[in-house]
Amino acid sequence: MAAQVALRRQQAQEESEARDLRLLYPCTGIGGEAGIPQGSSISAGVPVSVSSSPAAACFDVFGSENQKDDKRFYRERKSFLCIDGSRMIPFEQVNDDYCDCEDGSDEPGTSACPRGRFYCTNLGFRPHYIPSSRVNDGICDCCDASDEYNSHARCQNTCWNLGQRERAYVEGQMRTLDEGLRLKQQLIEEGVLLWREKQAQLRELQQVAEDLQVKLEEHRRKKHEADRLKEQTLKALEAGDGGLIRHQNSSVASIFHLLDSNKDGSLTVDEIKAKVVLVHDEQRVLSEDEALALLDRGHRMDLSKFQSTLWDVLTRGDTVKIKDTQGAPGSLSSEDPHLKAADRAAEWEATNLKKVEEAYETVNMEIRYTYTLCPFNQVTQKSTAGVEVSLGMWGMWTGKPKNHYSQMVYENGEPCWQGGSRSTTVTLTCGTETALRSVKEPSKCQYIMDFQTPVACQPVLKQQGIHSEL
Amino acid sequence: MAPLLVLGLALCLSGTWAVDKGNFKTCEQSAFCKRQRALKPGESPYRALLETMELTNTRLTLQLINDNNKVRLLLELYRLQGNITRVKINELKPLKPRYEVPDVLIREPTTEPLSVLSQDENGVVLSLGVESQRVIISARPFRLDIMEGSDVLMSLNSRGLLAFEHLRMRKDTFSYKVTSTVASTTKEEEEKVEDGMWEETFKSHTDSKPNGPSAVSLDFSLPGVEHVYGIPEHADTLRLKTTDNGDPYRLYNLDVFQYELYNPMALYGSVPVMVAHSAQRTTGIFWLNAAETWVDISSNTAGKTVFGKMLDYVQGSSETPQTDVRWISESGIIDIFIMLGPTPKDVFSQYASLTGTQSFPPLASLGYHQCRWNYNDQEDVKSVDAGFDEHDIPYDFIWLDIEHTDGKRYFTWDPHKFATPKEMLQGLMDKKRKMVAIVDPHIKVDGNYKIHNEIRSRGFYVKNKDGGDYEGWCWPGSASYPDFTRADMRAWWASMFAYDQYEGTMENLYTWNDMNEPSVFNGPEVTMHKDATHGAWEHRDIHNLYGLYVQMATAEGLIQRSGGVERPFVLTRAFFAGSQRLGAVWTGDNAAEWGHLKISIPMCLSMGLVGISFCGADIGGFFKSPSTELLVRWYQAGAYQPFYRAHAHVDTPRREPWLFGPENTALIREAVRQRYTLLPYWYQLFYRAHVTGEPVMRPLWVEYPQDLATFALEDEYLIGKTNLLVHPVVEEGARGVTAYLPGKDEVWFDVHTFQKHNGAQNLYIPVTMSSIPVFQRGGSIIPRKLRVRRSSTCMEHDPYTLYVALNLQRTADGELYIDDGHTFNYEKKEFIYRKLTFANKVLSSVNLAPDAKFTTDSWIERIIVLGASKPSKVTLKTADGQEKQLEFDFDASMSVLTVRKPGMNAGADWTMTFQ
Repeated sequence: MAAQVALRRQQAQEESEARDLRLLYPCTGIGGEAGIPQGSSISAGVPVSVSSSPAAACFDVFGSENQKDDKRFYRERKSFLCIDGSRMIPFEQVNDDYCDCEDGSDEPGTSACPRGRFYCTNLGFRPHYIPSSRVNDGICDCCDASDEYNSHARCQNTCWNLGQRERAYVEGQMRTLDEGLRLKQQLIEEGVLLWREKQAQLRELQQVAEDLQVKLEEHRRKKHEADRLKEQTLKALEAGDGGLIRHQNSSVASIFHLLDSNKDGSLTVDEIKAKVVLVHDEQRVLSEDEALALLDRGHRMDLSKFQSTLWDVLTRGDTVKIKDTQGAPGSLSSEDPHLKAADRAAEWEATNLKKVEEAYETVNMEIRYTYTLCPFNQVTQKSTAGVEVSLGMWGMWTGKPKNHYSQMVYENGEPCWQGGSRSTTVTLTCGTETALRSVKEPSKCQYIMDFQTPVACQPVLKQQGIHSEL
Repeated sequence: MAPLLVLGLALCLSGTWAVDKGNFKTCEQSAFCKRQRALKPGESPYRALLETMELTNTRLTLQLINDNNKVRLLLELYRLQGNITRVKINELKPLKPRYEVPDVLIREPTTEPLSVLSQDENGVVLSLGVESQRVIISARPFRLDIMEGSDVLMSLNSRGLLAFEHLRMRKDTFSYKVTSTVASTTKEEEEKVEDGMWEETFKSHTDSKPNGPSAVSLDFSLPGVEHVYGIPEHADTLRLKTTDNGDPYRLYNLDVFQYELYNPMALYGSVPVMVAHSAQRTTGIFWLNAAETWVDISSNTAGKTVFGKMLDYVQGSSETPQTDVRWISESGIIDIFIMLGPTPKDVFSQYASLTGTQSFPPLASLGYHQCRWNYNDQEDVKSVDAGFDEHDIPYDFIWLDIEHTDGKRYFTWDPHKFATPKEMLQGLMDKKRKMVAIVDPHIKVDGNYKIHNEIRSRGFYVKNKDGGDYEGWCWPGSASYPDFTRADMRAWWASMFAYDQYEGTMENLYTWNDMNEPSVFNGPEVTMHKDATHGAWEHRDIHNLYGLYVQMATAEGLIQRSGGVERPFVLTRAFFAGSQRLGAVWTGDNAAEWGHLKISIPMCLSMGLVGISFCGADIGGFFKSPSTELLVRWYQAGAYQPFYRAHAHVDTPRREPWLFGPENTALIREAVRQRYTLLPYWYQLFYRAHVTGEPVMRPLWVEYPQDLATFALEDEYLIGKTNLLVHPVVEEGARGVTAYLPGKDEVWFDVHTFQKHNGAQNLYIPVTMSSIPVFQRGGSIIPRKLRVRRSSTCMEHDPYTLYVALNLQRTADGELYIDDGHTFNYEKKEFIYRKLTFANKVLSSVNLAPDAKFTTDSWIERIIVLGASKPSKVTLKTADGQEKQLEFDFDASMSVLTVRKPGMNAGADWTMTFQ
């Protein structure tokens, strides 16, 4: 839509410029077809199509805008003054396919002047100027084909079709604009309601907050009280240390019962030999003497004795331990052929999995991204693999002064591998739906998004957009 | 509010490849170079066995013997047409054949008779037929001197550094043991086995060297010579430096990441041709060997102080300056062409007679090229194309780098980003513009990729040392490399460019061969393993040829797809002697630095001297992002270099010409427009280069061979036969440059202001950002087309303006060449070639090719005479005898006469009289 405005403005400007030009190319407009004044007789490749009738030695100045009612300027003249006033040339040298004027004003209808312009009348569509270098270059530029009057190009007059399409387009745009503005108004109204609602909610919440503040104070006081009590209790506990002992006793008892195979309440040499082994040589059964030493040279040991002697040795864990605890089961199982086969199968499956993963990665590379714009927050890019990358955090409005809110920038996204960080420029355009229309990455890590929303619809567009002359 | 949109943007994987200087060998790290360089001069073991000499009419053969190991060599000597002497040295009976480079010479050179003038036990004197030129072969030690009168032009093995490592059995093998016991009686001395002879490891790569040592080496002495040039490609000065205190210049095609300036390190291409010049004579040495090669240069005057020279005088040592050169190659044979000049242009035509001339490019390829890694998709291409129209900047080609393919599978298009390539190409064609898409030689190993499957099933891949298909890592990941040394492989490759094979292509799509050194990311020195095999040969033998073959097959493909009608355009990064026949070359991955802009001049000048005229550097610099000033200066400099292409790395910000504000857009537009106005001249120069082999862009000394002040100039150069002198601005913030204007009796006209300057002076020229100094020589006529349009093709029928710059004798001459601009029909004499002469106040156009036929719509629009006096009238006389007075304009302050619209057809005979 913005482009449409720009176009309109440019057109208006051109029309006014063209009116100025008309004063410089006085002409009757009697000649039926556009004419080029003939140049020298031996010119080769120069467009020559004389149109002047003997009665009225006059012609349209081809390639300039002609207006039939400028009669006061239309008079056969002997000379032509370059528009920049730099030079006076004979009138026959206007449009004779040789550039005489520095500003190109003597050759509005040919390609002779490097700085010249050619006027496409484009009846049925928009008139406009093209650089003189596009006259007779074999490429159709004017929709009325007027720029290719002496070239190999076969140009059709497409102005009427273009005009139709343009009108349809403009009408479409107008409809979009109307709808957009209506939606925008709706959004504004909703926004106002929402704002009011939120204001009310805010007031309520403020009241609640005050109440809570009071309650908070109360709880603080209570907590303080509780802390004090807790401290006192702890002190009392430290003095007695009872809890800890009780806890330890239970483990001592359970180990004792584990060792006490016949459950007679005392440990014997045999029981020790059956259950206790050396830490460094688990396979060997303890000797009679060693077992006896562990029983503190007594043949029987009760729980209380156990707790003060063997328990300490076991808990230190550096000489003896209870059999089959913390053993290394691997040494045995590694030779098991079944396990080996299972291992190989697992390995095979892992390789397969890796291959599949790689293939998946490859596929993923080709796959698309999902872009998310959260206005005033951030822009993100999510791959199908689920990796999310920040393309920038809300920065600022960067539209041109006249339309400051037409473009925004999100900065300081994920860093790029060659330095700098990702950033996104979002251009807002008027539309009836709110949607991202396109995302591009013209340079690495610099994204451009086209964001369509009714919010961007401006009433001014509508006024300028209506143009009946097409 | 969280709107979602799924878009078809595929991930552009950025290549995270990085290498540094340590990735490339020094001579010390290259076993054969180290071995050869350790040899001391003056101890040559070689003796010529004069009794073995045989002379047929045009061929002399002679055996040489190495007195240390009794291995015999066979020397062949030929006198070739055009003042060239060829010397070949091979083993008399090699264990197996040694590689001789095919496909570089355009034909078996024509030989001329030789005769023996005298002979005794010490040597032989042969007559070379012309100008009292003789060859003296001395027997003990072997030495070869080429004389003219009493002057020695060049000596071979004068320092005794001829070395020829004969092929031998590996000692630890069974077969060696068997044969050595039999043969031991005949061998007097066994060669010492040194490290690196049978195996060599560099970084993590081991070269298995199944054939053992096979290096060859020879020294050349050039009496009277202080300036040698050529042996590209190096990022170094135009005038080659002595290498005594550092590494030799290395010729080994390598993909060097971020290359350093002023360094003898090898780069992407190599042309083993050196040009030696003195005020008396220009000669050249062409060392035809495609293996890794090192060139040592020393000079008896280099670095000598005034005191040192005085000392020489007192001690009575010879004052004759001399340059000594030594070539060392890893394998193959010694096959040298000594081009005896005597003028620079003689050397160019001598070299062209051996390896051919510059291909005649399509006119459009001389226009401006817009490239970037990468234009992302069709829409991107469309919008960049539209940008040029919007900003009224002409361009002819837009380029697509690797990302346009379907997963780096060349000959394919990314199905999302370039879904309808023909539509895109048609869009460009509608504007008379063209496109180049990249096709690299590494082929993705992928069973679903047609090209890969075809090459594999036909057995066309290069093989690894164990006989399997060679695989390396490159852009597509795992890749194999077609064996382009095979003619059948090249024919198949060429057929892949047919429109029905390479889908989505049209006649305005051309090709770019990159990475053809070949680049192998995980290979030794980022290239292919030397023990990989190409049929009977090792990669070691053919390495420097690989890139040439890739371009050869590609260019052939483009020719074939048009039924032999259209001229191809193929850009290559790797090159060798003969690559000039195939297309354009650029200086590879440079950087956006002022130093790189500056070095682009000597780099392209060096290539031009050895035949490759179509050279250019990436405008703006490939790596990094240029300052606006650098970018503008580069556009201005590039406009006056043969290949004019802007290019940028994928990680740099966009830099299309209009992204730097309207002022800079205008400066760039003006630079590109200057290029386009001169296209008729560039085209005509390329025609000349195609016919004669003379460089398009040439150092001043080529045209002023006696002017010592020009011998080391590399900040300015000439375009064509002296007619334009260009001095680019290559310093940041420059306010002016000092240009040397040669020629005592010459005048030079500033092409921007028409200001006249005298020759033989250093002239300070103030510069602004608006342009760089360019001068037209008084005495020249240059045709231009001033109606600059969207592309060169749009300008086809446009009229010419002739710029006639008068010299002090008030004469001038020039040429005008016109043809259809893109077909081979010029070979069928379909062109216009005219001589333009101004003398005795008459300007005339005379047909230089009366048997040629071509018609043009173009006419003569304007004639601008620089250094003119005011005539009273100007009369045009056309071929039919009609006379006509012409209008003119005279600017007395600048002495510029402009004749208005004479209007005659550009192909016609006419005279114009200034009375």
